[in-house]
Amino acid sequence: MSDTDKLDILTRVEGHGFVELVREGERVVDARFHLHESPRLFEALLLGRRFDEVAEIACRICSICSTVHKVAALQAVEQVLDVRISRQTRLLRELAVEGGQIESHALNIFCLALPDYLGVGGFPGLAVVAPVEMQLGLKIKALGNLIQETVGGRAIHPFNLLIGGLGKVPVEDKLRLVLDQLAETREGAATVTHFVSSLRETLPLLPAPECCAVSGGTALFGDVLATSCGEVIPANAVASWLNEQNETHSHAKVCRFDGEGIFMAGPLSRLKLLIPPEYANSLSGAPVSASLLARAIELNQALERAMAITRILLAEGIRKEAPPTVIPKAGEATALIEAPRGTLLHSYRFDSHGICVAANIITPTAINQAAMEQSLRQLVSAMEGADHDQVKTACERLIRCFDPCISCAVH
Amino acid sequence: MKPLRLAIAGLTACSGCQLSLLNCEQELPQMLERIEFHFFPMACSPAILEGEYDATLVEGCLSMPHELDLLLALRQHSRYLIAVGTCAAWGGVAALRNGENREELRQSVYGSSTATSGSFSPQPLHAMVAVDAFICGCPPEKEELLNLIGDLLRGALPSPISHPVCSDCQMRENLCLLTERSALCLGPLTLGGCGARCPSLEVPCEGCRGPVPEANLSEALELYLQKGYDHAAVLGRLRRFCPEWKS
Repeated sequence: MSDTDKLDILTRVEGHGFVELVREGERVVDARFHLHESPRLFEALLLGRRFDEVAEIACRICSICSTVHKVAALQAVEQVLDVRISRQTRLLRELAVEGGQIESHALNIFCLALPDYLGVGGFPGLAVVAPVEMQLGLKIKALGNLIQETVGGRAIHPFNLLIGGLGKVPVEDKLRLVLDQLAETREGAATVTHFVSSLRETLPLLPAPECCAVSGGTALFGDVLATSCGEVIPANAVASWLNEQNETHSHAKVCRFDGEGIFMAGPLSRLKLLIPPEYANSLSGAPVSASLLARAIELNQALERAMAITRILLAEGIRKEAPPTVIPKAGEATALIEAPRGTLLHSYRFDSHGICVAANIITPTAINQAAMEQSLRQLVSAMEGADHDQVKTACERLIRCFDPCISCAVH
Repeated sequence: MKPLRLAIAGLTACSGCQLSLLNCEQELPQMLERIEFHFFPMACSPAILEGEYDATLVEGCLSMPHELDLLLALRQHSRYLIAVGTCAAWGGVAALRNGENREELRQSVYGSSTATSGSFSPQPLHAMVAVDAFICGCPPEKEELLNLIGDLLRGALPSPISHPVCSDCQMRENLCLLTERSALCLGPLTLGGCGARCPSLEVPCEGCRGPVPEANLSEALELYLQKGYDHAAVLGRLRRFCPEWKS
């Protein structure tokens, strides 16, 4: 190719989007983040499908988040069908979800975000300028995948997670291997927080919007949405509170919320809302760019939680369980869960034959669009006078702080 | 030796095939010694198409006009273009309601909003460009991607797979979920190479790797009928990953 063809796409994020700068003469006056991912129309694809197909199809929304999509969809379907899961299944699912959290956060920190701080283009550059950190990141990432595969049968699109239980429960030897690797990785992972906090932040300190996160259950699980404004919204009212709207600049619906506030989902919001009050002060004023540090803290929390769950499972002994009898029935339910990037909602309605007649999926990046827009505007005004390329680079870095998952958002 | 110059792009998909490559955590550092990841927007900046590529790996199907522009540019400047994953090879999950009116489907999600109005029924890559090799799976196995890289480094293409999932399953001496449990297992009709990952955990094959060459559909449909599954039920499942299955 003789000409250099600059494709105006945002790199080092999942999916397809780009930042557009709005100019008046030479002055940059606004910035917009366009999500131009191709829609697969999942909410239409699921219609007419039987209850036992829904989670298998819905997990294909996104690879990085496939385990948490699968679990969210299963939880919603099980609620409709009155299927109870055993303590063992609950713990194994939680372990798989923590595995996804570990993999996703390691991918973001060490592959997608770190190049911004070390002045390289991506992992090939990291291998040169920060080989030790990259090796550590890859090791942690691989462990997240090992956990997902041990429980879910596969790191991406975990087929072993089924309605009411698992295809085959993992043998204890495999869980012991997971535990050994968690113990081995722990010390190195503890250095990640320190390493990340030592990175020089060049973005202006932009105030983080209000926060929201799932609450009311263990760790990433729950049945209500809690906000920094003190609201506690039950699962079945969350979709209307989030208030998704179609807008012309985005292929994803945009959450406009129920009122004036703009809310952010994700690691920083979770930490702000859910950590013990004695630590809350140090985080309450944390800017958007502290999301990377929040991710590093959560990475360690996820490793600890995975270790605790694995120990419990091994102490209690793994049992083979009979699959539940599932009788189709009409009804609808909404499940909430915290995905690596924030609150995830799956809502389904079934007819009396167990056929899906309505589906609604709201993802963290759809929730975060308004927060990203607001932060972009603040960034542009904070960088008044800077040249076009500098503003553009900063905008892209800012977007990466949110770790957007655009396949999820558009689905 | 000159490094292998690669382009890796995603179209309409979940990024799972690209992530499968990034999930080769142990092999990635070694790959960097022999491979130049020149165009790989998901993981590397900047994304600039420039010069010629020894090979381009494309994940996903085509469903928007701008994707076709990118695919044509990649094809024009690549020695080999490889369809990676079932979406690229067959259309995949996104294509499961192909044959229905796309605009009606789109409006059922987006209402009257025009933001995505260019969307068309998802197509596999070979519907629009010449494809030199196919790697199937939702997602493909990591080993298949590593073998692909190995083949490309030798200037070769991977040899196509021709056996069904059933052969992999028999090799592992698994219980047959179709004959012994009357489960709707799509192993007989589905391309092998996955080591029968799902049936090995007693989960029926969902057909995520698309059709095996010379699949005997009518014979299989008879067998499924004996097990209590009518044609519509079986075809409905088969079309989850490949709209081309016809009765």
